[in-house]
Amino acid sequence: MNRRKFLKSASSFGLVAASGVYAPALAQAGPLKVGLLAARSGALGNIGEGGLRAVQWSVDRLNKQGGIAGRRVELVVEEETSPKDTSDRFKKLVLQNGVECVQGVISTGVTLSLGVLAEESRTIFIAWDGTTQSGVDETMPNPKYTFRSTDNEVEAIIAGVLAINRYQGQFRTIAGFNNDYSYGRNAWSVFQALLKKYKIDNQSVSEQWVKVGSVDLTPAVNAVRASDPDLLYLSVLFGEAPVLMKQASAAGLFQRAKLVYSMGGFNQSQLKKEFTPEGMILGLNTLDFDYPNASPLQKEFVAYYMDRFKEPPTSAAERAYFAMELYARGVERAAKAVGKWPTKEDITANMEDLEVESLGGKARMKKNHIPEQLFFIGTTTHDNKYDFVTVKDVQAISSEQFQKPPNTDFWKWIESAKFEI
Amino acid sequence: MRVLDILLGGLFHAAVLFLVAAGLQLVFGVQKIVNLACGSFYAFGAYVGIAAISAALSFGLPPTLFPAVLVLAGLVAALVGVAVELLLRQAYKRDDSFQMLLTFAVMLMFQDIIRFIWGATPLSLTGVYMVYGTVNIGSLSVPAYNLIVIAIGGGLALALAYFLRKTNYGRILRAAAENPGMGQALGVNVRRLYQVTFVLGTALGTIGGALVVPASAASVDMGLELVVEAFAVVVIGGLGSMPGAALGAVTVGLTRSLVVSLYPEFDLLSIYVIVVFILVVRPRGIFGEATA
Repeated sequence: MNRRKFLKSASSFGLVAASGVYAPALAQAGPLKVGLLAARSGALGNIGEGGLRAVQWSVDRLNKQGGIAGRRVELVVEEETSPKDTSDRFKKLVLQNGVECVQGVISTGVTLSLGVLAEESRTIFIAWDGTTQSGVDETMPNPKYTFRSTDNEVEAIIAGVLAINRYQGQFRTIAGFNNDYSYGRNAWSVFQALLKKYKIDNQSVSEQWVKVGSVDLTPAVNAVRASDPDLLYLSVLFGEAPVLMKQASAAGLFQRAKLVYSMGGFNQSQLKKEFTPEGMILGLNTLDFDYPNASPLQKEFVAYYMDRFKEPPTSAAERAYFAMELYARGVERAAKAVGKWPTKEDITANMEDLEVESLGGKARMKKNHIPEQLFFIGTTTHDNKYDFVTVKDVQAISSEQFQKPPNTDFWKWIESAKFEI
Repeated sequence: MRVLDILLGGLFHAAVLFLVAAGLQLVFGVQKIVNLACGSFYAFGAYVGIAAISAALSFGLPPTLFPAVLVLAGLVAALVGVAVELLLRQAYKRDDSFQMLLTFAVMLMFQDIIRFIWGATPLSLTGVYMVYGTVNIGSLSVPAYNLIVIAIGGGLALALAYFLRKTNYGRILRAAAENPGMGQALGVNVRRLYQVTFVLGTALGTIGGALVVPASAASVDMGLELVVEAFAVVVIGGLGSMPGAALGAVTVGLTRSLVVSLYPEFDLLSIYVIVVFILVVRPRGIFGEATA
């Protein structure tokens, strides 16, 4: 689809919306339909599947308690694929299925398209990731109907600051294995910006850009090994993570280098002890294992998930759960305030500044529609009952001081911001 | 040492790439079908390889037998080619574009079949890759398993060459590929021959997938990346040529290894510069035969 066709389609969609098709049902007797866009195959398949399972768990609990503001929740699930096809499914969910809110989607490219559609059609859209920023720049300065349930750049800053705090003076040469993907590029740039900010003398000796879905990283591993870095920075998100860890471990890459892995939450169960060393700084976004100090809600969810699916959840589960919980509490808060079934505008207004209990602890949706939430980071350990690494010395860090103020330049903000861990 | 490191990294990649590309070449050479599903067979082989090694571990088989178990798993997985070939029979006399679309559909179907059986989460094997230790050459330390895969890839290339050139069935296969009508007139069961060829082509892909999995992981979409490279191999070597598959795989493997070592940003670009160069100066590929 070219730009002109897309704008034409989006405009028609907006006209239909403005004509009242999207007006809330007057009699709210029927089920409350919520659309979900989740990848169930391809590179994002296990992430989408994990999010879907968490939402189903959340909805089952909500329905047992009488639904949302008295209406039983009914999920309508569609696939997340390309921006064009997912946009079509978004329209189908709204126009044909009559959903009152759409949640889901991981890919930044897809969420950027859907954000425009959501605003045009006045549909509440809570993305599990992405949406209001292209990388680190806002594409929608003041979104009204579009929310996102996490801000992953926060993890990159937290991991970078922690690495500098811990290893300052112990490294000079650095190398990176990052995805050839917006998050990977940003994560590496963030680390370098932090090194510059804190005036850490360093030299980047190898930068490897791992393609999503790669199954042979031997040449890249060999190149990094030849450069013999003091510190290795990783932010590989998808199925490439175990491939990288296995091949790097076999090549002896982890023997000398300090290791920092900013975002392992999508893949923690694949970071097997056999090839993932202890002592690595590992950001998890949220806790995906049976951690003693976790909240009762998190413990209940992890126990359910591991029992039912025989694997630990991914961090996408937390963000998906948060999206549904935010919507549910937002609707109830709005209904209470207006004394009747709330309009979409009532709901979005009541979702702002709303704090909910999510799987990873308390989280608040800020007025700019990006949440303030906890990020977990620790040091890898083999001392657990699983075949994969978990983290010890866990720090639960609020995202607040690691998020740039709205509509400011991210890179300039890093230069002047104060980060304390 | 750096040169040796680049060489071994490139050959490891080339060994697996050769198997998938050889399957593609074999099927095209005999059946004239561009089989886009070859990447799916590679992914399917990887998952079956994991299942086979898990079974081998539970039966207490010694690690020395694992490479044989993986090759065997690849051969068993190749039986899926029988069913796929039955489907493709509908397309033998159809337009090339129809055949490609059909194999593309098979590729997409395989993704969902794999996800249905094994789930969307990537799977990896533990306790196999490093069980053979490492080979130290000066300051260079190479996982021995990588060398085993290179040896098996090379061995299969030689075995395939022997089969096609020195055995009666190989000669019949090549003759029937040249002129199926004449083959049929001389009593060759061309339908059976096509079936055997397709299963053999499938086996090359599934064995490649099974062999790579101890060093890697199995994921639903793992075939996509490889099929793109396999087509680069085919363009470089020449469509339908086995020596071309070998040369193309080594070219792609070594180029990737070298460029990733020197300037990783140009990883894919470098391969496609070669592809474009070949298409311009020798469109039929290095070992390809000119067609009217």
